[in-house]
Amino acid sequence: MNLGLLLRAWRETLWTSLVFAGVLGAVSAIFAYALPRVQARFMQRSFVPPAVREFRDALFGFDSAGAGVSEVAFSIAWSHPVILALLSAHAIVVCTRLPAGEIERGTADVLFALPVSRLKLYASETAAWLGVALLVLGAIPLGSYVGSRFIDPAYRPDWSRLGVVFVNLAFVYAAIGCGSLLAATLTDRRTRAVLAVVIATVFSILINFLYTLDPALAFTKKLAFLSVLDYYRPIRTLMDGTWPVRDLAILGGVVAGFWALAAAHFVRRDLTTT
Amino acid sequence: MPETPREPLDVDLRGLTRRYGVRRGVEAVTLAVPRGSLFGFLGPNGAGKTTVIRVILGFLRPTEGTARAMGLDCWRESHKVKAQVGSIPGDLRLWPWLNGHSALKLFSRIRGVDMVKGGRRLAEQLDLDLGVRVRAMSRGMRQKLGLILALAHDPGLLVLDEPTTALDPLMQDRLREILHARAAAGRTVFFSSHTLSEVEAICQRVAIVRQGRIVADSTLDELKRQAGHDVEIVFRAGAGAAAPPAGLTLSRRSPDRWAGEHRGPLEPLLSFLAGVPVEDVTIRKPDLEQLFRRYYDAPGGEGAGG
Repeated sequence: MNLGLLLRAWRETLWTSLVFAGVLGAVSAIFAYALPRVQARFMQRSFVPPAVREFRDALFGFDSAGAGVSEVAFSIAWSHPVILALLSAHAIVVCTRLPAGEIERGTADVLFALPVSRLKLYASETAAWLGVALLVLGAIPLGSYVGSRFIDPAYRPDWSRLGVVFVNLAFVYAAIGCGSLLAATLTDRRTRAVLAVVIATVFSILINFLYTLDPALAFTKKLAFLSVLDYYRPIRTLMDGTWPVRDLAILGGVVAGFWALAAAHFVRRDLTTT
Repeated sequence: MPETPREPLDVDLRGLTRRYGVRRGVEAVTLAVPRGSLFGFLGPNGAGKTTVIRVILGFLRPTEGTARAMGLDCWRESHKVKAQVGSIPGDLRLWPWLNGHSALKLFSRIRGVDMVKGGRRLAEQLDLDLGVRVRAMSRGMRQKLGLILALAHDPGLLVLDEPTTALDPLMQDRLREILHARAAAGRTVFFSSHTLSEVEAICQRVAIVRQGRIVADSTLDELKRQAGHDVEIVFRAGAGAAAPPAGLTLSRRSPDRWAGEHRGPLEPLLSFLAGVPVEDVTIRKPDLEQLFRRYYDAPGGEGAGG
């Protein structure tokens, strides 16, 4: 790793990441404040429409029957499309910079003429990403903590269990980030890399819900294993407190695989900068 | 018998071919740039100059042949090569948030050598305010900063792609002085350009690349010496219908007037002229600009000389 390159990458991603962290923290705080109240009112009703329940379970990836207010509310908060979209967007923005972003804005000629091996360059970029990732990811539990200060203590989450969910969410984020790193090494155009990852991510998330929309799409349930959400089930963790070892192992494998593939391709590829 | 010590080569390309799929890059390029020389790399736009530079800097892997710089393999030991190289790309873009001071500090940190002192000295020579941010700089200022960043660590080899772009004539002179001083101190300058006049003013030796191939590699004096003579003959009484003498290649021909190029000894031409009614004759060496135009324009890469 090269400290100069690390600082350069931080300089270029820090402000964007602070904005993402701020928005994520605020959204997370609002969810932590509002969702337990909404959920409490909702649970007072005896009947939950099957379609709502099916959609919710698809979102959770787990049968939520028997879950309490706090578990359901914080599961929704931590797997809400707004949270997932913001996290995905941050991973994509930061991880498509090298080399596609540098080539597209014309600075690659200067960057790649520096006396640093490509592996070090890639490692420095990854380290810079991990630094800002902690900031962005950390904003979510921080927001939840702040928001939950203003609710009935009975509705507050079990923080140790939420910590496990945090690790699981970080793995999801890392998988999208490493997918972006790979896409950025496969093309010279950042726009293309972004588009490819956005399409893949949206598909990956949608595939988890399609079967709930129309009986004709029931067959897509078999493809749910392609969804990143299939490996992120906060409700289960919040309900039983166990570590989702299988999910983490699969996501970890995806992260390591994408990262290694991207690194291997980056060190071997030609850099045509025009 | 003792071996003759060979001149160290800071750029050594042998049979270098680089293709982009079906698109041509460069074909069988062989170049040897000795240490301490000012080497001009001339060619029209799209001839393959930047491809060669990208191979030297390890951006591109040779399709065939070898590329070595500072005694190291340009692809496998690219980062070691670049530690000894200062370069400026043809289309320089720097990170917009940098200013001159922060750029010198950042590059010092990345390179692991102090570039601040040398950079400040160069900024004075090139008259650049280091406090201005790149996003607020004019094109000429950015070019100066790029040159400072290429020169400040006193590299053994300078690889400059169209470095005078956007520099005013005064700054071009300053750059010329700096490059001559570097070469005098044993540094090598690989100067790529499509403009003959600036290469002529800076370099001792030139290679001309055209359609991806080297069509000339020599000193400027040698290239001039190898070139033929431009010949123009105005005949009387339609005497130009005769066959031209050996060595004369005509580019324009009518019964009254011939124009072309003569190579080889002039005697056959003079004997021919003595035997026909001639109104006017011009025989002259082409100037450098014409010479290079011939290299650039000639079909199949055949130029004016050897």
